[in-house]
Amino acid sequence: MRQSPARMRLRPDLARALLPESERARVEAYALDDAGHGTDVFGTSTEGIGSAYALAYWLHRYYFRVVSAGHENIPRETAAVVVGNHSGLLPWDALMITTDVFRHSEPPRLVRFMVDFFVYRMPFLGVLFRSLGQVPGTRRNFDGLIDEGHLIGIFPEGAEALGKPVEKRYQMHSFSHGHVELAARHGVPVVPFGVVGAEEQHTMITNLEPLARALDLPFIPITRTFPWLGPLGLLPKPVRYYIHYGAPLFIDPAALQSLAVREHEVERVRDAVYEQIHTGLEVRRRAEGNPAR
Amino acid sequence: MTDESGRPEAERLRSSGAVERPEMGTLRPGRRRILIAGAHRKIAVELIGRLLEYDSVELILGVGDGACPAALVNHDSRRFMYRSASLDRRRQVDDLFLFDQFRERPLDTVVHLAFAGNPKGYDVRRHEYNVNAARHLLDASLRHGIGKYVFLSSDSVYHVGPRGDYKVAEDAELDLDPSSPTTVRDIIDAEFLCRAKMDHPHCEVMVLRPAGVIGGGVLSGLNLLFESHPPVLPIGFDPMINPTSKERLAQDLLLALMLHGKGLFNVAGLTAGPLSRFLEDRKIVPLRVPGPTLRAANKLQRLLGQTRYHAEYQPRRLFYSLVLDDSRFETTFRANFEALDATRTG
Repeated sequence: MRQSPARMRLRPDLARALLPESERARVEAYALDDAGHGTDVFGTSTEGIGSAYALAYWLHRYYFRVVSAGHENIPRETAAVVVGNHSGLLPWDALMITTDVFRHSEPPRLVRFMVDFFVYRMPFLGVLFRSLGQVPGTRRNFDGLIDEGHLIGIFPEGAEALGKPVEKRYQMHSFSHGHVELAARHGVPVVPFGVVGAEEQHTMITNLEPLARALDLPFIPITRTFPWLGPLGLLPKPVRYYIHYGAPLFIDPAALQSLAVREHEVERVRDAVYEQIHTGLEVRRRAEGNPAR
Repeated sequence: MTDESGRPEAERLRSSGAVERPEMGTLRPGRRRILIAGAHRKIAVELIGRLLEYDSVELILGVGDGACPAALVNHDSRRFMYRSASLDRRRQVDDLFLFDQFRERPLDTVVHLAFAGNPKGYDVRRHEYNVNAARHLLDASLRHGIGKYVFLSSDSVYHVGPRGDYKVAEDAELDLDPSSPTTVRDIIDAEFLCRAKMDHPHCEVMVLRPAGVIGGGVLSGLNLLFESHPPVLPIGFDPMINPTSKERLAQDLLLALMLHGKGLFNVAGLTAGPLSRFLEDRKIVPLRVPGPTLRAANKLQRLLGQTRYHAEYQPRRLFYSLVLDDSRFETTFRANFEALDATRTG
């Protein structure tokens, strides 16, 4: 069942103010399988995507001034797993990847990130993430999205990577194995990407680990601005993002039978992500000189 | 199923005399004789009305506790009979299969809808009734050569939480939390009794797990919420649901009864969406309260007579999504509806 035209409309005030005509047309052209009440079965709504895209487009173009390359590596229609590095205290990198892919794919494609469960325990936040097409990271959800031909985003470092301290910038945490196993099982490619810039949008001083554990959160940050400036302290610095997508990697099906092969494939993906980060750092060095601190 | 010599199991049992009534088999051909336990339920009334539209249904025995419901008294007495029985009494259950009407042509199908919920708290009598009724009815059905046994369970058996799958299949995690309501545990107990007999060679044992029913005045948790004045929901949460209707559930039950198939199946509504959209569609405006105060607000509402919904029954259902995946039922039963509908006369 396709969504009715009434549900396809964006909030005209927001869209008109923030989106150029061509982008409005792209959002309205995005096809969402309506489960009967204006959302797909995952809870994604075109209204949610449209409003978020109106804001994210502005951030993408004018705030983070994203420079990206390698969009030809993203499948135009078929399912794939998009895997990269994670950083920056709040997941602005995920928002920028989603926006970047949506802007540069034809027809527009939505990357659906597998999100940590704690998000869905929080009032409003869980509903917001769901309406934007971001789903809890369970295997069944992965299977369902892949079966429907979606692009799935995974940060194999986990949510903890958002709270990397300054001295560990651009050093990746170890990767979980799930993305490789699932990609092998479904026979879909893994598209590696590297994000440069998000690491500098906050300066993490320390993590209040005991409090984070007590509240069942991945971390509670102390930065140069948070909590001193209250919620305003969570606003990221307007650092330019450099996003690069690498060639799709096809996972050896033997990863389903052998732990050694799986570990090897995970390392291959990790190396590919690191290569994209390295490319991004190099492009930034040429464009800006030394990275901002 | 075959034995060592390659003979079918049923044939071996017949030749050894182990089966007393060799003509009994899974859904034997001919017109159907159906026992429906829990005839007071609105879903049972709907189901009986639908079954009587089919020529292939010869006789229905409705069983309840007390007098025949008014909605059933006008049915043709040659095709519908009603009896009162306490299903937690083994003898009374056994007697249902021994009426004169069934001497020549015995019952061949049993539907167990008689489940008593009690969200107010632990009640041993209710627990005994629920579990013993399920046990006695199933035991008697197997002893009397029933070919199809259907137990109507509930989607409340599923664990609900932030780790939820977008669609919940039949093998999803069950709510086995010790703090879960006793009624939920009773349903799981009764389900397990059925599941223990699912490989029975002569009886197709089925368990259906329906999504919440909206409308039709039914006593489902979801409908009681919708009938509240106003429904009280937590701020900042809007779970995805795919509720069904009384009519659709009756149709699904009918398919389950009349067509071949056994096992455990989800049955759900046609559409899925956020709870708030279902309320909007019915022009119901909910009252939102902070999550931690939801139970207290619900208790107060019940004291004031504004609702019969118990937030304690499934405390997480108003926070987290539960969308049932009924694709197995769709392909096994709903896809074959046309073949069945050809026998309809009403």
